[in-house]
Amino acid sequence: MAAVTLKNVIKRFGVFEIVHGANIDIDDGEFVVFVGPSGCGKSTLLRMIAGLEDISDGEIAIGGKVVNDIEAADRGIAMVFQSYALYPHMTVEQNLSFGLRMTGNPKADTERRVKRASEILRIAELMKRRPRQLSGGQRQRVAIGRAIVREPQVFLFDEPLSNLDAELRVQMRVEISRLHKELGVTMVYVTHDQTEAMTLADRIVVLNAGNIEQIGAPLDLYDDPANRFVAGFVGSPKMNFLAAKIVGADNGAAVVELVNHRGARLRKPLSDALPAIGGDVVLGVRPEHFFDAGQGDCDLTLKADVAEHLGSVSYVYANSGTGGGREELIIEREASRHRANGDDLVVSIKADRSLLFDATGARIR
Amino acid sequence: MRYQNATAYRFLAPYLLIFSIFWLWPIIDSFLISFQATRTVPWRFAPTFNWGRLIGDPAFFNALKNTLLILVIQVPVMISLAIVMAVLLNSPLLKARGLFRFAFFAPVVVGEVAYSAVFRLMFNLDYGIINKLLNSIGLPSVDWFTNVTPAMAVIMMAVTWRWAGYNAIILLAGLQSIPEDVYEAATLDRVSKVKQFFYITLPLLKPIIVFCAVLSIIGTMQLFTEPFLITERGGPGGGTETLGLLLYRQGFRSLNFGYASAIAYTMAGLAIAISLVQIWLTREPK
Repeated sequence: MAAVTLKNVIKRFGVFEIVHGANIDIDDGEFVVFVGPSGCGKSTLLRMIAGLEDISDGEIAIGGKVVNDIEAADRGIAMVFQSYALYPHMTVEQNLSFGLRMTGNPKADTERRVKRASEILRIAELMKRRPRQLSGGQRQRVAIGRAIVREPQVFLFDEPLSNLDAELRVQMRVEISRLHKELGVTMVYVTHDQTEAMTLADRIVVLNAGNIEQIGAPLDLYDDPANRFVAGFVGSPKMNFLAAKIVGADNGAAVVELVNHRGARLRKPLSDALPAIGGDVVLGVRPEHFFDAGQGDCDLTLKADVAEHLGSVSYVYANSGTGGGREELIIEREASRHRANGDDLVVSIKADRSLLFDATGARIR
Repeated sequence: MRYQNATAYRFLAPYLLIFSIFWLWPIIDSFLISFQATRTVPWRFAPTFNWGRLIGDPAFFNALKNTLLILVIQVPVMISLAIVMAVLLNSPLLKARGLFRFAFFAPVVVGEVAYSAVFRLMFNLDYGIINKLLNSIGLPSVDWFTNVTPAMAVIMMAVTWRWAGYNAIILLAGLQSIPEDVYEAATLDRVSKVKQFFYITLPLLKPIIVFCAVLSIIGTMQLFTEPFLITERGGPGGGTETLGLLLYRQGFRSLNFGYASAIAYTMAGLAIAISLVQIWLTREPK
């Protein structure tokens, strides 16, 4: 078991800088998820920890030891690949034991480790099969098994569930969670799926275009995002962003006018210095933070376009109509089964259930 | 459904017609001719005339021996060489990859007569570059075309030069279909590059290697151009005469089409048999 530390890690491919100085401290035994849209550098970061990519600048330490110049195989890590990367011509048993056999590990110890991995992952009955005779979920188990037999200090997962169907993904997610509890080993997990990040992680690292946007526990990111990118990325359906203007200041609060909602105004108390009057801002409201008319601080009149009824909740896709620019919003309602196209819908938002961002996307608290 | 099939067959008809006249019929006819005595006019049906002769013909066995000798030595050497070339072509360290790929493939598109003439010149006793090179490192000249063993060696080198690159390109496609992350997994498993080659690359490349080997076996069984042009019709003294050459000699020099057809069918049968054995020996375990 080991902690992983990244100090100002930079990755360049030729003249292109892909990762711009990442600083992350991962505690011993922690489950950390790197999440971000494709191309944000999360897999590159993971591969640098693994030793499959060189580090252009900065320092990576595993278990307190700088590993920049240490071969991938000697870093005490094991990696599970998105495509599983199983050896197609070997049986499951041979896949699990290949690395140990090739490096002359004592036979009895190899057998013990393979047996243990097969028990942990419940794949004992698959040992004589080849990868092409396995389902996606079974292949993923074998890939994880191959990581387990290495008895690593750190597990690295590179989008391990993205090739599985939705149901299996949920199942494997639970499985990986269980594995983390059982083994108690540090795990670093890369995904573009914020649901996976929210459900698995002790802490999430949100990446965007090679920068770390925020690091924090899942619910901290959800409740208290540092900027508009994080606010929009974490949570499903996405947070709504309403174009707004600062039109006044009132006793430690900014008066915000929603420009696409016929001049609707909200008084938003702030602890930071108040932004300049007349400045453009963005008000973020999560779909579940719309209340019935009159229940909040500011009412909005919308037209419903489409309603998705999921049973326990409904999502109403609504627009702001013709007042100013047209703005699309997603609203979660518990009791809106009757809502249909073209209906008028009046909802209310609350100042303490909305977030304010400046024009650059930074949070105004 | 039936109507659609009829349309399809009408479109296929021109091809099927040409195929039937120029491929199918000669294949059937030559089989029939192999059972006829064709040395006298009119030809007459005599099932044992050609096939009986084949079994006891020293010229046939000489040609068979030469062909198999080339097969057994040249094909494995060429395939091994092709694998090495393919691995080098696939190396990320290689610069000017496109140029090398073209260079390796180029021998296939060079005219057979031209390349044979160049090989004759290169291996010429007095002013060939090969003997010049041998002399320059203190070795004596070799009389390549008047002794059987060196003549055989020239044939094998020529065929290898012509086809190794072609096979390398096919193998390269196979190499490129092996996913990179399998090697990365092996690297993390502390498996050395050499072991990765023998335990991952070769087993995963096996179907392509078998494919190349079968193609080469079929090609070598039909070997004709090189012994015809480079060693001047299987010289010295029939020492490099192959089955293809014997067929040509019987059919088109002696106009003994019955015997030539029997030889042709023997060549085809051997090629199929050897290929099947090859495929069976290298089959995937269940």
